[in-house]
Amino acid sequence: MTTGVHVKRDAWTGSLLPGLIILLAILALVSLGLGEITMGPARLWAGVTGADREASLVIWQIRLPRVLTAVLTGAALSTGGLVMQAYFRNSLASPDLLGVSSGAAAGAVLTISLGWAALSLWVLPVAAVAGAALATFAVLALARRGASSERLLLAGVALNALLGAVTSYVISTGELFARSTQLLFWLFGGLEDRTWLHVWAALPIVVALALVWPLGRPMDLLSLGEREAQSLGVGVRGLRRRMLVLATVLAATATAVAGVVGFVGLVVPHALRLTAGPEHRRLVPLCVVGGAAFVLACDLAGRLAGGLRLGVVTALVGGPFFLWLLRKRA
Amino acid sequence: MTALALNKVTVPGRLRDVSVKLGPGRRIGLLGPNGSGKSTLLQVAAGLLPSGGEVRWSGRRVQEIAIPERARQVAWVPQEARFEFGFPVRGVVQQGRYAHGDDETGVDAALARFDLTTLAQRPVNALSGGERQRVLLARALVTAAPVQLWDEPLASLDPRHGLEVLMLAKELARAGGTVVMSLHDLRVAHCLDEVLVLAGGELRAAGNPGTVLNAALLQEVFGVRARTGETLILELP
Repeated sequence: MTTGVHVKRDAWTGSLLPGLIILLAILALVSLGLGEITMGPARLWAGVTGADREASLVIWQIRLPRVLTAVLTGAALSTGGLVMQAYFRNSLASPDLLGVSSGAAAGAVLTISLGWAALSLWVLPVAAVAGAALATFAVLALARRGASSERLLLAGVALNALLGAVTSYVISTGELFARSTQLLFWLFGGLEDRTWLHVWAALPIVVALALVWPLGRPMDLLSLGEREAQSLGVGVRGLRRRMLVLATVLAATATAVAGVVGFVGLVVPHALRLTAGPEHRRLVPLCVVGGAAFVLACDLAGRLAGGLRLGVVTALVGGPFFLWLLRKRA
Repeated sequence: MTALALNKVTVPGRLRDVSVKLGPGRRIGLLGPNGSGKSTLLQVAAGLLPSGGEVRWSGRRVQEIAIPERARQVAWVPQEARFEFGFPVRGVVQQGRYAHGDDETGVDAALARFDLTTLAQRPVNALSGGERQRVLLARALVTAAPVQLWDEPLASLDPRHGLEVLMLAKELARAGGTVVMSLHDLRVAHCLDEVLVLAGGELRAAGNPGTVLNAALLQEVFGVRARTGETLILELP
C-alpha cells in the first residue's frame, strides 16, 4: 500500500483547544500586568478587586477594555476568514485580502468626515457594516464562488486600492492635526485608547460567532462544492446567505473598533487547518480562541517593541506567511 | 411507476424539449458527443439546475420535495471534483449520510467496495483522478438513494475498477434502483438495459441499446462507422 500524507489525527489535536485557551488566559494576564506601570500577580489581584486604587483604575479603565477589544477583534477576523474561505472554496480568501475590511474602514471614515458619527454610537459600526457589505458585493460581482485564486486575489487588490484611496482622500481633506493618527488607525489598525464603548460596540461579534457555531458541518460540505452539497441535502442558498452576512458583520465590526488589521483572517485559519485538519466543527472554536490569542500576542509584542501598531505587527507576521503560502501553491 | 420523469425539459443553449421516463430496476446509459448536454441533463434530473419543463421523482415535482428528502431519494456524482480542502477520504464518503442524521451506516462497506480502505485517512485533495472518482461514487452509494445519477463514472477508472462500478450498477438495479450514467464507451452501453442518445441538446433516440445503437445512428450522431467483429472482452474473475 502507498504511504504518504495522512490527515492529522485526534491524538494531540484534541488538546489543541484547551492549550489555546490556556495560552489566551496567560496572554490576557500578561497584557493586564504589563505597561507603563508594571504589576506583579499580587498587585494585579489588588487592582482587580479594587484594593489598590491606582492599579484598579489602570486595569479596569485602560487595560481590560484593550484586552477585550483585542480578543473580540481577533476572534472575529479569524472566524470571518474561515467562513469566507469555505464560502469561496479558496483558502486564500480573507476579509482584508478581499477588500471587505477596507470597505468597512471607508464607510467608517466617511461617516466621521460627514459628522454623522457624532450623532450616535451606532452610526459608525453600522456604516462600517454597510461599507463592508458593498465591498463584499463588489467581490462577488468580480469573482464568482469557486473562482480561481488569481481572479479572487486580483479582485481584492483592485478593491483594496480603490477603497484605500477613498479612505486616504477623506482623511487628507480633514483637519490637519487629526490626519496622521486617524489615517494610521484606519489603514493599519490599532488598539490604543480603546474604552468600554469600543467593547460594547464589538458585541455584535459575540452574536455572530454564536450563529457561526452550528454552521460547521454544512460548511464542510459546501467547501467541497455547491452542487455536491445541495445534492447531499444542504440548503445551499440559505446557508450561503447566512455565511456571507455573518462574515461581513464579523469583519466590519472588528474593523469599526480596531481599524484595518490585516492577515489575521488568513494566517490563523490556515495554521489551524494545518494542525487540526479541515473540519469546520473543530475549526470554528479553534479560530475563535486562536484568533483572539494571536491578536492579543501581536498587540503585546507591538507594545513591548515600543508602540508598534497592531496592523503593522500582524502584517510583519502574516506577510511572509502569505508569501510562503503562495509559493507552496504555485 | 416511473422513478424519474422529465417532461419537455429545456435549458437555454444546452437542452431542448427533452422528455423521458425512467423506471425502477433499470441501468440507463446516457450517450452523446462532447457538449451534447449529458451533464446538464443529469444535473437537471438531480434537481440541481433550474430548467424549463418539469422534473418528477416518483410522480412528485422536484421543487415540492424538501432538500434533505431529495438527498435521500436521488444521488448525483459529478464528472470531476476539485477539492480545495484536504478532508480525509472517510470523512468525504461519510458526507453521503448528511441527510440521514450524519450517521455512519454503510461507510466502511462503501470504502471497502471501492478499494478505499487503505486510503481512508488520506486527504482527498492528494488523490489521483481515478481515486477521487471512486470516493465520489462511494459517497453516492452511502446515501442509499434509489435513483443514482453518475456523470461519466468510468472516465478515469482502470479496467478493473470500471468493471466493478458496472457490477455495482447491476446490483443496484436488481434491488429496484435506477442507475443513469453518462459514458462514451459504446461497447459498455451495449450491456445496459436502456440508452438515451443526446445530440445538440436534443434527445435523438431512446430505448434498447441493441436497436438504438445501429450503424446509421452512430454515423449520424458521432460521425463514426460501426462494424461488428471480434473484440477483447474483459470480465471480473
